[in-house]
Amino acid sequence: MTCGKPGPIIIEMNTLGHHYWKQIKVLTWAKMKSRYRKTMAGFLWVVMSPILLFVTQAFVFKKILKLEIPNYYLFLLGGLLPWIFITTTMDMCAPALYSSRDLLKAFKIPPFILVCSQILDNFINFLFAFFLVLIPFVVITGTEIGGLLFIPLALFNILLGTTGLVWLLAAMQVFLKDVQFIIPFVTGVLYFITPIFYPIEYVPQQFLWIVKINPFYGIIQPFRLCIYNFSLETFLPALGLGFCFSMCFVILSLIFWRVKRDDFYHYL
Amino acid sequence: MTSTTTSENTILSVNNLNLVYKLDYYHQTLRDKFVKLVTSPIETLTSSKDSLHVLKNLSLDLKKGDRVGLMGVNGAGKTTLARCISGMLVPQSGEVKVNGIVRPIFSTNIGVIPELTGRENAFLLANLLYPDESKTELEVLIEDALDFSELDGFLDTPFLHYSKGMQTRLCLSIISAKACDLLILDEVFDGADEFFQKKITARVLKLIEESGAVLFISHSPDQIRQACNRVLVLNNSELVFDGSVESGIEAYQSMIR
Repeated sequence: MTCGKPGPIIIEMNTLGHHYWKQIKVLTWAKMKSRYRKTMAGFLWVVMSPILLFVTQAFVFKKILKLEIPNYYLFLLGGLLPWIFITTTMDMCAPALYSSRDLLKAFKIPPFILVCSQILDNFINFLFAFFLVLIPFVVITGTEIGGLLFIPLALFNILLGTTGLVWLLAAMQVFLKDVQFIIPFVTGVLYFITPIFYPIEYVPQQFLWIVKINPFYGIIQPFRLCIYNFSLETFLPALGLGFCFSMCFVILSLIFWRVKRDDFYHYL
Repeated sequence: MTSTTTSENTILSVNNLNLVYKLDYYHQTLRDKFVKLVTSPIETLTSSKDSLHVLKNLSLDLKKGDRVGLMGVNGAGKTTLARCISGMLVPQSGEVKVNGIVRPIFSTNIGVIPELTGRENAFLLANLLYPDESKTELEVLIEDALDFSELDGFLDTPFLHYSKGMQTRLCLSIISAKACDLLILDEVFDGADEFFQKKITARVLKLIEESGAVLFISHSPDQIRQACNRVLVLNNSELVFDGSVESGIEAYQSMIR
């Protein structure tokens, strides 16, 4: 087999991709450093916040509301932590471009690297928090987690979907300032209609369609299946569906950017 | 707009550039729109959108070695033209062709993450402006720029606590560290003190000489004399002068008299 040399366009794309990745890495590291620099516990706060929320919810739903779900802590962990990652990232990234307008107008910086670095910062925190709970839990209880090997696939899907969604929101925020006010309201409602702290089996038949068209559930469910009731027969279709939702967000965000990018700096 | 390769010696070619700002870029609330619709429905429904013609049929070429001073009163369209050339703004008609890398600088007192120290912001800014440099080259470039800024003990304090002059010092030191094919500087000296102004002027002049071509926006005839070998004057969105430095300065001054 012979391989020709890559054409100039491919080389240029590779170089650009390499530059962007380098800039995203540097910015992510800087954001992680800056976020809690003045606090006493520093990075610990970022990781502890979702864990505390998890512990509180686990206590309330298991001990007070007495939800009869086997291995409820693991069930909740697989749904709640990715949910916190997605919604926190939406909250933080939606105003990211507009609030960085001085910087974006001062130098020619690709806008998406600002959003991507924030996503990556949150993603790293999410991973730390997740494994910090999961590993001791598995060691202490001896629970077998069959789908652990598939977690990278589920994580990639979550990262892809979140990137598509928050890029769409951040770009929309530049043109429509209401977006950042709508997000908390929508995520607040979605938290109750998405099976995060309760299983899909609790949803009455006539309302199942709401769950089926809910992209948040579609994106989170493959991740949960990796650590809770894993079987390849349920995981693969769930991952396929989640990937479709993620790609919808990516495609929507690309279409929106393509249509509106010429006006971006006017509105910034 | 197209941004493609031009003939070897031409760094920038702008042809019949027209840019119109629609005034609805300045956001109206739903309440404002509703009140307008109720108070004057016919006018609201029939009137076309208000607009400002910011650049009118503008054409120019920059060749290698051109150090062009762009002058004009406030609102003449200087920054808008520079943003069009940089690819930030897209004109309604006309084309911009650039041969090489454009590095536009529109402000010199911006921190990438102001909560971080001056040193960390310098590192970030250098990484954002010069992504093609290797790690070692960047380290050398940053160290040199930090030495040049003479901020010494302040470098490890948060950028947001800097005075405007100190912020300008740091930014200018990084910005002026490396030449490129087309350098666009928009009133970059504002904010620096007199001592640093002299020092940075010498450094920027060196940078200008090393760069392929330069578009230098300024209201200061002295700076234009020092840095440029050609002057463009914009007035009421149109290019009204393109020629020698002294005649250009005279044309600009006659407009503000």
